[in-house]
Amino acid sequence: MAVDRAQGSGSYGSSRTVLVASLVGLILAIIGITVLIDKEGGQKLLASVYDLLGNAAGAEALRNGQGDQFFAKLLLVAIALLVGVGGIWLLFTSLSLLVERLRPSIRDRLLPLIFIAPAVLLLGIYLVYPAVRTVIGSFQDEAGAFTLDNWESLTDPAFLEILRNNILWLLIGTSGSVGLGLLTAALFDRIRRESLAKIFVFLPLAISLVGATVIWKFVYAWQPPSQPQFGLLNAVWTAFGFEPIPWATQFPINLPSEMLILIWLQTGFAMVVFSAAIKGVSSEIIEAARLDGASERQLFLKVIVPQIRGTIVTVTTTIAIVTLKIFDIVMSISGGRNHDDVVAVRMFAEMFQFFNDGRAAALATVLFIAVLPVMILNLRNFRRQAAM
Amino acid sequence: MTKRLWTTSVLAVVVALMLGACQAATPSASSSAPEASAPPAASEAPASEAPAASAAPSEAPALNLPAVPTGYTELDKALGADKPYNGTKVSIQTQWTGGEGEGFANAIKDFQAATGIAVQVDSIGSSHETVLKTRIEGGSPPDMAALAQPTAVLAYAKDGKVQDIAQIVGPEGAAKLKADFPSTIGLTSDGDHIWSIPTKADVKSMIWYPPKAFAAKGYTVPKTWDELVALADKIVADGSHPFCVSAGGPGTATGWELTDWVEEVLLKTEDPQVTNDWISGKIKFTDPKIKAAFDKVGSLLFKDGYVDGGGQAIVNADLKTVMDPMFNEDTANPGCWMQKIPVWYGPDFFPDRRTNGGDSKYTIGDDGDIGIMPFPTISDEFKGAEGSADSFLVLNDRPEVRALAEFLATPEGLEGWIKSVGVLSPNVNVPAEWYADNYKLAVANDIASNATAIGFDASDLMPPAVGQGSFWTGISDWANANGGNTDAVLQAIDDSWPK
Repeated sequence: MAVDRAQGSGSYGSSRTVLVASLVGLILAIIGITVLIDKEGGQKLLASVYDLLGNAAGAEALRNGQGDQFFAKLLLVAIALLVGVGGIWLLFTSLSLLVERLRPSIRDRLLPLIFIAPAVLLLGIYLVYPAVRTVIGSFQDEAGAFTLDNWESLTDPAFLEILRNNILWLLIGTSGSVGLGLLTAALFDRIRRESLAKIFVFLPLAISLVGATVIWKFVYAWQPPSQPQFGLLNAVWTAFGFEPIPWATQFPINLPSEMLILIWLQTGFAMVVFSAAIKGVSSEIIEAARLDGASERQLFLKVIVPQIRGTIVTVTTTIAIVTLKIFDIVMSISGGRNHDDVVAVRMFAEMFQFFNDGRAAALATVLFIAVLPVMILNLRNFRRQAAM
Repeated sequence: MTKRLWTTSVLAVVVALMLGACQAATPSASSSAPEASAPPAASEAPASEAPAASAAPSEAPALNLPAVPTGYTELDKALGADKPYNGTKVSIQTQWTGGEGEGFANAIKDFQAATGIAVQVDSIGSSHETVLKTRIEGGSPPDMAALAQPTAVLAYAKDGKVQDIAQIVGPEGAAKLKADFPSTIGLTSDGDHIWSIPTKADVKSMIWYPPKAFAAKGYTVPKTWDELVALADKIVADGSHPFCVSAGGPGTATGWELTDWVEEVLLKTEDPQVTNDWISGKIKFTDPKIKAAFDKVGSLLFKDGYVDGGGQAIVNADLKTVMDPMFNEDTANPGCWMQKIPVWYGPDFFPDRRTNGGDSKYTIGDDGDIGIMPFPTISDEFKGAEGSADSFLVLNDRPEVRALAEFLATPEGLEGWIKSVGVLSPNVNVPAEWYADNYKLAVANDIASNATAIGFDASDLMPPAVGQGSFWTGISDWANANGGNTDAVLQAIDDSWPK
């Protein structure tokens, strides 16, 4: 700090220099922004530069939307970079220089605020404002007047069904992924080619939810009984002499079918994290438990699991949030058409298909409220772990 | 330190500019207006001189342009010899990809060459509606956009996001529009406002079938519902399945092929006013007349053996592959015999072309591998046909946008598409001979002109929460239960109707 300040006073000398530099910077930034705001700013600027350089034909072509459009775009990029990076740099430098001139007691309190302000501002614009706007929107009708209709409509039987599905996703999807992840982590801990086995369980995580759903749609594919079954599951199923089942489109079997896709993906994530945590349990404790005569099951349930409790909470809450926000799988299987609709899919449909922006906002708020306690739990857990 | 940074960045900009200036000396070839391939636009050839070879309009001497005066002010100006809008740009967002995208590109090709207006087509495909809504509400809409659902057009109009085309074209132009598009598949308008101009029409009252196999088995094309049922019975007795139907299949949240069946039967059994009242909500789904239409469809499609696999098969069948059994290797014994699907269907969906590209080996025609029959009549009194149309809305008002909108409203605005890929225009001034060389368009045109009334796809006009929501969910439910839960399904759809 001390060195910085010495340098600062050395190169800037008086407050007048700072003021002039900031002003020049500000003017340049304003010019830059005017160019950026104008849709054809890059073209126009380059055209006037061409005029200055005596290239009238080039300028004319540019103004007609032809000619060196590429360079106009390049110029625009350069200006955007300069205004963006330079502007931030200018903002920080001039503000900190101004604050440096204040009394030390005030300065030390202000300086951190100044550095955090841009981040807070951006978070406010891109996160807090839309969130608040969404909540407000859920209380507005199409004309923008206050109404409770959007919330009232959430008591429809159709929505209660959606809520039921989300709760099932939360319970089965989360417990399935966490349970299987814990089991595989504990079992793989004991085998010889552990990393190879883990790769196979972990690999699906590299596939996107939509990609995984497409794969599983082939597994679940259904053909009329008279036709050959190309779906893996029905091919096996009919080989045992049963009638083919439309796994993905017939309620209620479609719910577990869809959840299985998520479990297939998320087990790998849970397993890797749990595996690392299990390796972290000190071998002395395990050996001590063994000497005390603990069975393998007791060892796992009463020694290892309590030791990795923090990890279990983190993984569970993370996957719980994924299940609450589940969208891709349901959307790609059937768009929630067969009694398998969930909040996020319905929110999308209300917004983009049904033009019910208010109801979509209400659904978004419901989702937000549902995720909130899980996130608080997660944050608390993080803090506790950080404190340890 | 600061000074050096500034100097460096200023230097960098100057160098970049110099580079650009030097480059300017060599003329850039990447202009966006497709001028190279089009013939000179000097002569305004009368549009009726249709080229004999319908597949290649670009090689023909006649241009797909209306004769001036066209009846529209801005279009006349744009087509003038001085090209006042040369160098301007109009963006248009559509859902048309593949053959449809190609068709639209052909439709606007000569217009671009003649006026110098560059049309930038953003063809988005299946997420078109989502992208469009984001762009419109984000305040940077494309200049024009195509939409399939009039309800969506009206929703944007209500929010004040759509330019009133009646204002744009003026009173005379508006009168011309109303005269050119008189049918119910016409303009999306309310009162004096015109919110969108229809462009690409679809006739839905048709059934695709294999004529050669029909001939081999001695089947005749049914003209009435009773003949249809008798034929279906015969096919079942012969050990096959008469119908292929898809309610969208897994992965696509639609059920329109099955809702079309119900809408078709309603138009053929009741006065068109019943359909209108059903759309507006005056008649409920539980109304006996609507239920009767459901029951009639159910009695046919859910009858044992009529569709291979029954209702579950309808829900699970993929629209792309549902007709594949008709193309059985053993051509005299198709796995299914009839599919009700609109006129846009065609070789793009035939199994060989779908998987390998290129031309399909299956011929289309009344004596080809695949043919089209009009949907059989049910009552003597009501012979309505079902159709739909995509339409254009104007989102930014500039002279060159007006010119393009007006061009697309003329018969010649679709000529390039009609004569290349093939499409129907809802414009009554499109001469029937434009369709003559194209089997499916000619059949569709006949169906439309023989109908006592043309009803726009009812589900596209209902509130979207029903028409694209609960109606589709409900009909999927209904099919899964083989029509055993009609009353419950209809009640559930009624309950979902926005209050």
